[in-house]
Amino acid sequence: MVSTCTVKLNKLFIMEKAIYIAGTGMTPFGEWWDKSIRELMDEAVEKALESAECNALDIDTIIVANMLAESTSNQAHLGPLAANLLPHAPPALRVESACASGAIAMHTACGLLESGRSETILVIGVEKMTDIAPSDISTALMGAADAEKDAPCGLTFPGIFGLVASSYMNEYGLTREDLSLVSSRHHANAAKNPYAQFRNQVTPENVTNSTKVADPLRMLDCSPISDGAAACILSTKFASSFRLAASQIATDSVSITDRASLTSFPATKDAMSKALKEAEIERDEINHIEIHDCFSIAAVINVEDLGFAEAGKGINAYKKENSSLTINASGGLKACGHPVGATGVKQIIDSVKQLHTSKKQFALTQNFGGACASCAIHIIEQV
Amino acid sequence: MTNPPTQHRAQKKLRNNMQEGTILAITTVSHPPAGFNKAPRNIALIKLNNGTRVLGCLTTMDSAAIGKTVRPRMQLQRVMETGLRIYDVSYEPVLMKEVKQESLDHVFPGYIIALSGPSGVGKSTVSSLLVRTASEYVERVPIITTRKGMQGDNEEYIHVTNTEFKEMCDRGEVVACTNIPDRNVQRQYGYKAKDIESIWTKGKIPVVVTEEHLLQGLSDHFGRRSLLSFGLLPPGESKRAMLSQLLHRLRKRNRDTKESIEDRIKNAEKDIDCLRERNDLFDHILVNEHLESVIDTLVGHVMNTAKTK
Repeated sequence: MVSTCTVKLNKLFIMEKAIYIAGTGMTPFGEWWDKSIRELMDEAVEKALESAECNALDIDTIIVANMLAESTSNQAHLGPLAANLLPHAPPALRVESACASGAIAMHTACGLLESGRSETILVIGVEKMTDIAPSDISTALMGAADAEKDAPCGLTFPGIFGLVASSYMNEYGLTREDLSLVSSRHHANAAKNPYAQFRNQVTPENVTNSTKVADPLRMLDCSPISDGAAACILSTKFASSFRLAASQIATDSVSITDRASLTSFPATKDAMSKALKEAEIERDEINHIEIHDCFSIAAVINVEDLGFAEAGKGINAYKKENSSLTINASGGLKACGHPVGATGVKQIIDSVKQLHTSKKQFALTQNFGGACASCAIHIIEQV
Repeated sequence: MTNPPTQHRAQKKLRNNMQEGTILAITTVSHPPAGFNKAPRNIALIKLNNGTRVLGCLTTMDSAAIGKTVRPRMQLQRVMETGLRIYDVSYEPVLMKEVKQESLDHVFPGYIIALSGPSGVGKSTVSSLLVRTASEYVERVPIITTRKGMQGDNEEYIHVTNTEFKEMCDRGEVVACTNIPDRNVQRQYGYKAKDIESIWTKGKIPVVVTEEHLLQGLSDHFGRRSLLSFGLLPPGESKRAMLSQLLHRLRKRNRDTKESIEDRIKNAEKDIDCLRERNDLFDHILVNEHLESVIDTLVGHVMNTAKTK
């Protein structure tokens, strides 16, 4: 059934306790052939604990965000694997929601903290993607799409976003040259980020002339295959200068064949409107956004769905810089890398860094899974 | 990698996808996932006429664009490691000019009836009788040929010189052509798009007499789904019995020389093989034992088409 209704009748749940970001740590993203999934998690956890006021024994729950460990590392059961990185092996669980696993793990943690079942939770996002052949990773990632409606024709995720891009270009007249501005900007931003996988500058011409992957998308429109881990300690007990002002999730149909339109993602709009209400702020109070640019066209659509541009005008955000709103100052998924389970956690860590440097109050992260079949939005406040 | 049960479930739903639709979005995946042929895949999101949306491969990118109409056809997609051959619905962009709706109030637009079969099986007889019986609905398309006219030819042939034929091909007027050699000369046969389209504009179904190459050419130009293709076979349990039946008919009609009959029998053998090997090109195989029953079957198809419109 094609969904034609974008207004969801979900009840709005508001954060009932102050949840602080008590510690953060991550590995640089890249190709880490000599590090296992356990070692990547260990490195991120150690850095998160170092940065926190609390110690390892204060962690009462661990949530691991991961999508592909069974396919890429023959390793399931990541909860206990992570728990045993700490001396007291606390209770642990795993959350999977494709590329949104990281942010949805954060959302899960919020629920446990608000209910009082936990006081300090360690959220770890991790993915080890470079151990298997690119064609196999491509097949594994298609698990985020509909196996019976999308995959049988031989579609890949770049293919899905190639369809999205062709539809968007046809509807709004976006040119190939304009689309190239997105990756170019993200690469320029990543040049300053020591944790980014690619810190090289890329010109719009480089993007336009790179190899075709899924017409009209080129190689430099696509986020890379990466290894990496990011860890975040959330606590209602240990206060810090940063808190989660909103944590909202929304869903849409998994298959793009069930969507009324390919040029907008209703789940983003839904989660965004709920997040603004939860944080009790206006959109223009937000100074930094980290958006899910798995493909350059997704960044353009996200800017529009988040309400920072009108439909069809998202590219304007990339045509000139806006000092009051930074977009993917970390380099985004394109240049930082996209170890899928880690990305949502990493976006929150980067937002904390950006608020810390700019001394501004609000930052926002948007992390989605599949073709935005699941979406999580977090608003981070500097208090 | 999609497993056999998933494929089985997907196959069960294929029938719903066997209909025309419009392209909503289009891409070419340069590196298909593991298990698929390595060649780039042209994939489109298609809104079918019943309102559902499907993802499917396009048979070609020629004239494929957002908003264009596509028609379904079955195509081998891949052979799995287990040997399972996976067929799926592919969609081919409609190349022909759409015939105006008002001029076609009783036939399916763009439909062609094709009759194929070995020499002597009775293609011409069947097509003449069909046209006579259902003249309100069908009309024979003239064959353009370089072969010399002979006794027994009727208005079905338009005789041209080799140069004229080549010029028509160069101008793109001939949509399907074939060379059926005699021991002395090359003989070209073909159909002009204009002739077929002009029959559509009269609101009738064109009838063509074809063989493998002509059928393939028509299928390439107008799309396989626009052909209602019949293979005609002579009666006989074995190929030898069929050929003997043909020989008997060719001698009886007393139109060809002894050498020409030998040539025709040689070609007939190929034509019989083609009906078996290229069964993708045929919708129905009819055995021409009782002429009346063959005509009844064909007229039945024509009337059904007229009724469903």
